[in-house]
Amino acid sequence: MSPTAVLYVAQAIHGLAYGMLLFLVASGLTLIFGMMGILNIAHASFAMLSAYFCYQVLLMTGNFWVALLIAPVVAGICGVLTERFLLRTVHKHGHLAELLITVGIMTVILEIVKIFWGAESLVVKIPQSLSGLVNFAGLTYPIYRLFIIGLSIVILGFMALILFKTRLGKIVRAAVSDADMVSALGINTPLVFMLVFGIGIWLAGVAGAVAGPLLTVFPGMADQLGMDAFVVVVVGGFGSLGGAFIVALFLGELNAYGIQFIPRLAPVLMFAFMAFVLAFKPMGLFGERE
Amino acid sequence: MRNKLYKWILWAVVIIILAVFPRVFGIYYTNFFVGFVIFSLYAVTLNLLLGYMGVLSFGHAMFFGTGAYATAIALTHIQGFPLLPAVLVGGLAGGLLALILSPLLVRVSGTAFAMLTLAFGQLIFVLALKYREVTGGEDGIGGYPIPPLNIPGVVSVDMTDQINFYYFAVAVIAVCLSILWFYTKTPFGSLVVGIRDNAMRMDYLGFNLPQTKAINLTVCGAFAGIAGAVHALLMKLVSTVGVLDIHNSFAPIMMAYVGGVGSFFGPIIGSGVLHLLEDLVIRFTARIGLVNGAIFILVVLYVPMGLVGLFSATKAKWFHKEKVS
Amino acid sequence: MNILETKGLYHDFSGLQVLFDVNLQVEEGERHAVIGPNGAGKTTLFNVITGTYQPSRGQVFFKGKEITGARPHKLMRLGVGRSFQITSTFNRLTTFQNIRLAILSKKGIRFHLFRKVDKMQDITKETDEVLRRINLDRERDMPAGMLSYGKHRSLEISLALAADPDLIMLDEPTAGMSRDETHYAVELIRRLTEGKTVVIIEHDMDVVFSLADRITVLHYGQILATGPPVEIRQNQAVKDAYLGETEVEFV
Repeated sequence: MSPTAVLYVAQAIHGLAYGMLLFLVASGLTLIFGMMGILNIAHASFAMLSAYFCYQVLLMTGNFWVALLIAPVVAGICGVLTERFLLRTVHKHGHLAELLITVGIMTVILEIVKIFWGAESLVVKIPQSLSGLVNFAGLTYPIYRLFIIGLSIVILGFMALILFKTRLGKIVRAAVSDADMVSALGINTPLVFMLVFGIGIWLAGVAGAVAGPLLTVFPGMADQLGMDAFVVVVVGGFGSLGGAFIVALFLGELNAYGIQFIPRLAPVLMFAFMAFVLAFKPMGLFGERE
Repeated sequence: MRNKLYKWILWAVVIIILAVFPRVFGIYYTNFFVGFVIFSLYAVTLNLLLGYMGVLSFGHAMFFGTGAYATAIALTHIQGFPLLPAVLVGGLAGGLLALILSPLLVRVSGTAFAMLTLAFGQLIFVLALKYREVTGGEDGIGGYPIPPLNIPGVVSVDMTDQINFYYFAVAVIAVCLSILWFYTKTPFGSLVVGIRDNAMRMDYLGFNLPQTKAINLTVCGAFAGIAGAVHALLMKLVSTVGVLDIHNSFAPIMMAYVGGVGSFFGPIIGSGVLHLLEDLVIRFTARIGLVNGAIFILVVLYVPMGLVGLFSATKAKWFHKEKVS
Repeated sequence: MNILETKGLYHDFSGLQVLFDVNLQVEEGERHAVIGPNGAGKTTLFNVITGTYQPSRGQVFFKGKEITGARPHKLMRLGVGRSFQITSTFNRLTTFQNIRLAILSKKGIRFHLFRKVDKMQDITKETDEVLRRINLDRERDMPAGMLSYGKHRSLEISLALAADPDLIMLDEPTAGMSRDETHYAVELIRRLTEGKTVVIIEHDMDVVFSLADRITVLHYGQILATGPPVEIRQNQAVKDAYLGETEVEFV
């Protein structure tokens, strides 16, 4: 296989992996916005928190799988507590207040992370079983990236199953579409909110923990991921999972190829695209709700 | 009649305090005060969009930073570039940026506006980082000459003297704030507020919404640029992380919110409170970010109307009590 | 002359046809009511005429000139005013400030940056005059959002009228009002629209028959009949359309 072809394929895999991570983060974000009207600025910060938790558990147990299991759950619990005690209280003060409190939360998480783990980059090593390359059809693929893609697909498949095949999923989908109506039907919406928020954060947590070895764990890791996730949600459409999926993969690939071939212009392309979509379709390509 | 007298006395006191401030409080606080007024102007421009027009500019640092860079670049590359034009060029740059973006920005409001400005803010931040030849990237631009204030034939005041610079900066910003204050009181100012309350009705009353919004945006961008310009003169260094990053976009939002977005002076008070807080906290811990964040969360939770709002509400309660008893 | 005329107006919302071949003619100086069951397309017709929507087909003429799809603010400047079915005022501003905005527009004061608006005495005087005429002078300094329903609705209608347009389009001005409030509103409308042309959407038949010179009946997006109240009362097709739809007493 020619070197250029190898390069293209490698970039495609990188793009796909990053796109999947983006979707994990963005899916929670878009569900939360669709259902609760809250644009969670701190969403990626929770992903970062999970990455740090993962590092810590790995440090304490030496087992990557245990860390991967525990970290997102702990992050999810933090998310639930945040929703219960901060967001719920501030809801009555309006959308601006909700937005601003998530800004505050983002700042606090950033500082907490710096206090406990310092400002330096931390290295999370890819476990032996997942490191290295594999050969297939004459090409080599990095195993860890394949793992990310695989894990994401499994989780998302599982989520899709719950959302579309269970009663709980039906309730959640209804609540995303019209929370007031669902409440009027007698369903405990605060509980549903808490649940969805927690799961949304958990998804971001999985992305964060898994991204640790890739992006290295440092206080700024939320910035890039967060910004990209926002672009995905905004362009894909608030509340639209399908839209988020398509745009996330597109963005992942745009990122990968962009960085490789037009490093200076890559971010411009992405933002230009977002600005363009927003100006003509303020609710995103597939969005329904304001 | 009495109210007017009180007002004149109040302003007289303020002017006297401003005049003797450097001598009473020393160099450190003199510079601190300049920082405070710079951010007061910056936060007021944000509030002219948030409190007055009802849109959240989530990337406001792009105007501040563009202004700062314009000033720094002008001073670095043009020999003998004078002082006042250096400030004005910052305003011009900020206003121009707003004008260029306005065709897109006037089409949206609410969350879309916040996201769009966030995107543009980040875009400009990243561009500035990448185009090092122009902006110096992370290291930024520094060491440019600070020109003296020249009134031809009369006097030349050295602006590298921090006390002289204090008077200049405070005067410039006071003038800007006065202009903006007057701006809110004009018929155009009431159009802006009308847009906040009911944009559709404004359309139906015969007002050209896109044009009106664009003008307000440009004014806000220009004056934010001036704030950036003065900042560049104060710090003698302009770097992307310092003036264009997202935390510099959040700062005026926090200041406006803490002070109260419902009033012109709210952001100024917010700027003062947050600056004082930071100065106080920094003596005890380096973790100002944490304290700032925590306090901000508390304010959003319990004082959403801001300090000015709290003050008005308390005054109303006392007033009511007086009437009752 | 017909001050307002639509020719072959069609409108649909993503496939759902809402207006069919609507040919409305409004004579200058008349009071013209548009009635019809809920969902007949009355408000959509207003929205298409005033530029909120672009019609899928057809034309709109104002004072003989084509204005199809012209934006609301342009239309206002040409002399068309509109009120809304759901009260749409500047709720955080005072009643005075609300009306003042309309007056500023009427006087073409838009990009004025050189005087304090509070100091513009002619504007203040004119605004206060309007407030007196609509009996809201006592609520001058009250935030509009705190007005009682009836007064809020009065303000709503007044905002459409204050800029002194030649054609006034009122969308269910008496919606939600009590008997007394309705009588009051009708008197107000009658008083304030002397010599102007009014097109009014209404469900309250008493209001329609007391105000209207001519009535157009809309049904499923089509004009069923147009004519003076006497004719409409006796029109069989109209009676059939209304059977069981609205509590209507044609007697």
